[in-house]
Amino acid sequence: MSAAYVYIAIALLLAALLIYLAVRRRGRSLALDEARAMLNSLDIQAFRNLVNPEEEDFLRSSLPPDQFRRIRRERAWAALAYVRTLSRIALEFSRFGQAMHNGPDPRQVELGRQIVSGAVLLRLRALEATTRLFVVVAFPDVPHHYPRTLFEQYERSTGLLLRYRAPVHAQQEAS
Amino acid sequence: MIRWYEFLFFYLWIAPHVFLAVVAVLLLNRNLVKSFPVFALYVWYEIAEFALLFTIATTGLSKGAWYVRAYLVTLAISTALRFGVIQEIFNNVFREHGPVDALARVSIRWTTGFLLIAAILVAIFFPGQTSNNLIAGAAWLGRGIAIIQCGLVLFLLLFSGMLGLRLQNYVFGIALGFGILSSVELANWAMHTGELSKPTARALNLLPTAGYHVAVLVWLGYLIAPSREILGPCDVPVSDVNQWNRELERFLP
Repeated sequence: MSAAYVYIAIALLLAALLIYLAVRRRGRSLALDEARAMLNSLDIQAFRNLVNPEEEDFLRSSLPPDQFRRIRRERAWAALAYVRTLSRIALEFSRFGQAMHNGPDPRQVELGRQIVSGAVLLRLRALEATTRLFVVVAFPDVPHHYPRTLFEQYERSTGLLLRYRAPVHAQQEAS
Repeated sequence: MIRWYEFLFFYLWIAPHVFLAVVAVLLLNRNLVKSFPVFALYVWYEIAEFALLFTIATTGLSKGAWYVRAYLVTLAISTALRFGVIQEIFNNVFREHGPVDALARVSIRWTTGFLLIAAILVAIFFPGQTSNNLIAGAAWLGRGIAIIQCGLVLFLLLFSGMLGLRLQNYVFGIALGFGILSSVELANWAMHTGELSKPTARALNLLPTAGYHVAVLVWLGYLIAPSREILGPCDVPVSDVNQWNRELERFLP
């Protein structure tokens, strides 16, 4: 095949990808109900238990190796589903933050920036936890690292959002 | 047929630069020169470059090698400025986000390295026609640069999307314009080294200027179009706020 056609094909593919990204961006909006439903569905305590190293030590000591490996894989898959939800919630947090960041009130602009930064870090932590959990799925005997930073970041982000909700509430009650 | 071709050829050469002048004015009016000084410089440089090349082409100077030399020198400066603009977009997008900014800097270095290797590999495996003339050399280099620039723009859009960062309308527009421009340039440089028939090459000769026109219209469109209406804090009903607070409080220790 001619080299020119290869390059033209690469160029068309890249252009198509860029157009796809532009079109996809237009379709996105802030989905309050969806975000609330996701928050509702997330049982953070159950998630903490699933990745608790003490529980894993207990299972390791009380189950035969084969059964432990099977159960550990299942727990890792379940934890992965939680991380995925958490990651999607982080996206919604980021959109809230950006909505505030574009607002007229300078205090809210700053809070919006903090919410966005927190949400971005939460996405990163979720990505890190996903990688670690996939390692557990592949190698169930490898010791697991408790995703403390993920939970800490989540608490920080929800705390920031609560700070945002309170002034809005007060503002709406007053009007 | 010839007249139609010539009309289109001149339109695609002149019109984007007229629109680019509008982009330059809009950048000044919206005070975006502060945030995007390299992009503003690029826009003014492109207008000046057009004025120079158009003058050379429409006067007797184009009969010598002047046009080719001027074209290649101005193209090299333009390419360097494009890298500067891409770096500027990265800085603008991630600067405010602390540790993410550091990650973005490392990522852009790795991505550039990866794209450089990809460009070299593609050049080795798909060399096209081998010729020693200046244009063939520039084409070989141009294809590699187009791959790197387009790859960087794609990486920026995907990476920021993955992290949940929504780019401002005009930032997205600038990046998208450069992405389109780079992909069209890749096809353009491919034709310089390829074995296309003369009529096909002649028709495709309009591609780079058409691509440039599209990129300028994208910049203009995203600068003119107002930011999409997004939900402001006051749009949320009180009952929703209470429910949200309850949901969020569940997650705090």
